[in-house]
Amino acid sequence: MTINAVKREIPDYIEGYGKVRHYEGAFARKPEGAIAGAKLRCFNSDITDKRVSSVKEAIKASGLKSGMTVSFHHHLRNGDYVVNMVLDACAEMGIKDLTLFPTALFGVHKKVIDHIKSGVVTRIMGSVNGPIGQLVSEGGMEVPVVLRSHGGRPRAVMAGDVHIDVAFIGAPTADKYGNICGTLGKSACGSLGYAFTDADYADKVVVITDNLVDFPAAPVSIPQTKADIVVEVPSIGDPAGIVSGTTKVTRDPLRLLISRYASQLIEASPYFKDGISFQTGAGGIPLAVTAFMKEAMIRKGIKGGFGLGGITGYFVELLREGLVSKLMDVQSFDLDAVKSIGENPNHIEISADWYANPWNCGAAVNMLDVVILGATEVDTDFNANVNTEADGALLHGTGGHQDTAAGAKLTIIAQPLLRGRIPCVTDSVYNVTTPGEVIDAIVTEYGVTINPRRKDLLDAVSGVKDLPIVPIDELAARARKMSGPTDPVKTTDRIIGVVEWRDGTVIDVVRQLKK
Amino acid sequence: MKTAQAGTLESMDCLVTLTEAAPGSGIKINITGASAARFNSAMTKKINETLAELSVKDMEVAVQDNGALDIVLGARVEAAYGRLMK
Repeated sequence: MTINAVKREIPDYIEGYGKVRHYEGAFARKPEGAIAGAKLRCFNSDITDKRVSSVKEAIKASGLKSGMTVSFHHHLRNGDYVVNMVLDACAEMGIKDLTLFPTALFGVHKKVIDHIKSGVVTRIMGSVNGPIGQLVSEGGMEVPVVLRSHGGRPRAVMAGDVHIDVAFIGAPTADKYGNICGTLGKSACGSLGYAFTDADYADKVVVITDNLVDFPAAPVSIPQTKADIVVEVPSIGDPAGIVSGTTKVTRDPLRLLISRYASQLIEASPYFKDGISFQTGAGGIPLAVTAFMKEAMIRKGIKGGFGLGGITGYFVELLREGLVSKLMDVQSFDLDAVKSIGENPNHIEISADWYANPWNCGAAVNMLDVVILGATEVDTDFNANVNTEADGALLHGTGGHQDTAAGAKLTIIAQPLLRGRIPCVTDSVYNVTTPGEVIDAIVTEYGVTINPRRKDLLDAVSGVKDLPIVPIDELAARARKMSGPTDPVKTTDRIIGVVEWRDGTVIDVVRQLKK
Repeated sequence: MKTAQAGTLESMDCLVTLTEAAPGSGIKINITGASAARFNSAMTKKINETLAELSVKDMEVAVQDNGALDIVLGARVEAAYGRLMK
């Protein structure tokens, strides 16, 4: 056992994970050695068509065998058919003991449970949500799930921590030679950012498309040089689940108040000037913060630099109106974003590596001024938990939380003080996803709470009209008083989830729930 | 057995169902829902206190919770009891 830099007691060896490299600080670990890579391949002019007739043929041609690692990207979100299609085929072909390495899983993938129970999938490295998360939390898998951030995942691949044997890439449009485009076709999803690493580093890349076009498909996201096999299927996803309708700004007065406080904090910060860059995601509060910021930008005549991350129609509107000059898009959430990335050269597709990897020559998050994030809970050390729910179940992926918090100059967690009766500000979070070292402020309906480490920010917001400043201890005490005493989460000693910090060190572990 | 309900399943509320119990059977409490995992003790305590103030010794209490604070829970128990006694 070792006590790590966020005061968590972590074993030095975890069964099913291996030797633990302990978290030492947000920027402590430096890489060594060279980038790990995929096998070299050779295609000559005798092969001008990479198509095979079925998913099973594709799996066979890829050389996929029991015990290997398969990867998937999540741009088709809750509409995705690809994961289920491939795993079903593997099951029928008798392939077992697979390591599933998705960029994220959704409710639509609950069928994975059957494949876990039948031994087709024996390890998951990636987020587990909903029913899969519940199963894992109750001890339904032999080896722990490994959670990595959007930047930690490409880092792990490039560092050789994870080797992808076969990558399956759902392609909204492709040609017979494997050029892939995300913005066209009936299953268009916009950016294919998370799939880039898989295309670059997998030994074999299988392109699965439902819109085969004449060679060369254009515009190209991932080029033919990465693709081994192409297979055409009737449908790769349900458009209704791939893109959401226009996400709405919250109308809840409590959340609007929180959003207004967050916007006032940003406006008072030294970053609110021409060229300000920000990431706000798609949640109700972040969108409302963006709306308030937009008002403030117009009022003060300020033009933004770039918007980053998962892009919504709201950001597209800011781009069109000239309030930001560029969008850097790793995932296009709605129809407006999909349309924009296909048409507007200032709306740029970026890979997960480019977006958030701590181990390259500089990720986009490093250029970020402000990020608005949520969390299931934060504590008096400003540590944030996004992975587990109040009952201790591992139900959420890390996403870009760690990466944007580490990169941005101003990292804000904006959320109500309580969710139902559950306090969102506690003395010690159940699980640390992101360390307080990289979180600058918490905004609740009671005002703004600044990390004491950021005295400059505290000075900047002191005296702002109608913006209450609440010390963290006071905030935690208030939450405790309202919610009353909590019962501890009952767990066994067995570790079912390993939460890596973006540099591959273990920041925390999640234990199996007692039934 | 007579039963009565109070409350809703709105966020931060709860639905309390009281069922008359035979004399000597005591207070039986069943809590499900949002806060059940982390606030069972606090909620049980509040329900027992509220029933004690009403001098109730025998009762079956079912709570479907959606994040109610103690003050709400107490009020719902009291209201359900009022309805049961009508």
